[in-house]
Amino acid sequence: MACGSTKLWNGEATWFCCGSAWGPCASAGGGACGTCRSSALQAAWPNASKECWDITRPDLCGEDIPRRGCGSVMKVRHDCSGASVCVTVSDCGPRTRSFCSESTCCDGVCRTNRVIDLTPAAFSAIGSLSSGTLPVSIFE
Amino acid sequence: MSAYRTGTPLDRRRFLTTAALHGATVVGATALGAVDADAAFAAPIRPLDPAVAESAFAEGRITAINDDVLAVAGSYGDHSRVRVTGATSVWKARATTAADIETGDGLYARGVPLPDGTLAADAVWVNIVNLDATIRGIEKTRLHLAHGHHEIVGNLMAETTSAAYGTASPTADLSRLTIGQSAQVLGAWRPSDGSVDLVRVTVAPGAGRRR
Repeated sequence: MACGSTKLWNGEATWFCCGSAWGPCASAGGGACGTCRSSALQAAWPNASKECWDITRPDLCGEDIPRRGCGSVMKVRHDCSGASVCVTVSDCGPRTRSFCSESTCCDGVCRTNRVIDLTPAAFSAIGSLSSGTLPVSIFE
Repeated sequence: MSAYRTGTPLDRRRFLTTAALHGATVVGATALGAVDADAAFAAPIRPLDPAVAESAFAEGRITAINDDVLAVAGSYGDHSRVRVTGATSVWKARATTAADIETGDGLYARGVPLPDGTLAADAVWVNIVNLDATIRGIEKTRLHLAHGHHEIVGNLMAETTSAAYGTASPTADLSRLTIGQSAQVLGAWRPSDGSVDLVRVTVAPGAGRRR
């Protein structure tokens, strides 16, 4: 599947580690899809499966996020700079329900609710890891 | 694979390459946003410079430091060499310099591949972690955190650790953190004992009113 331009969703992007890793992430494993690596351009999606949805529950924050399973390709664009990266869904997350109404802003643009979790490689391609979150738009 | 908006006059690739090959010393290069966490959170975030058509990435543990080159053992048995220049922004619990990087540290590095096989680092994040955790205990100098099935000690750092309660700006007031809260923990791992120096603990808006 190509990295497309059809708008899918928008919200906050966070980052996480997966696969073999150092530090507290050493036990992270390959994620829900079994293929996740911190060094790859990958993402976790809150509705990667029914089981995933039951954990993340974005609907509790008013987000009726569509299902996109392992292997789905998305383009994630930083809403302020326009920088973008293509990622493959490789895990389940973020746990949207735990941070309902949280928003991230830049240059007057704000996005609310955590809707996608990027690997360090993917997140750092469009922003700084030390920021923790970014406002993004997602395309497929 | 990545596509970046064009239009910024700074040619970051040329800048990095020049710095790497000629040892230029440039202080405070934060053009790509690798500044301290609070500043990055509060300020407009400027990500990868549009002049960099495609970035490279490396991760792993530092096995040796030879002048300005970090030897890195990747998590899958791969090896890379990361070149730190005066133009590299370095994060290790705060914005710092390459002098704070030590053998045994873990890192994520972003930069530009050079012809000699090294990665000219634009940004290096040393020991950085961003964990989805639950607060299990609160002491004067540390938090006890559950990360998956593992317990992690989070060290509170005077004048550094902040809490973010939803949409409010990060604050030094940690009094609204409570046991049982879900928290996003941004910090720096300590290879010596496995604990994490806490930079920012983020909890949901309306902390204490959990769903």
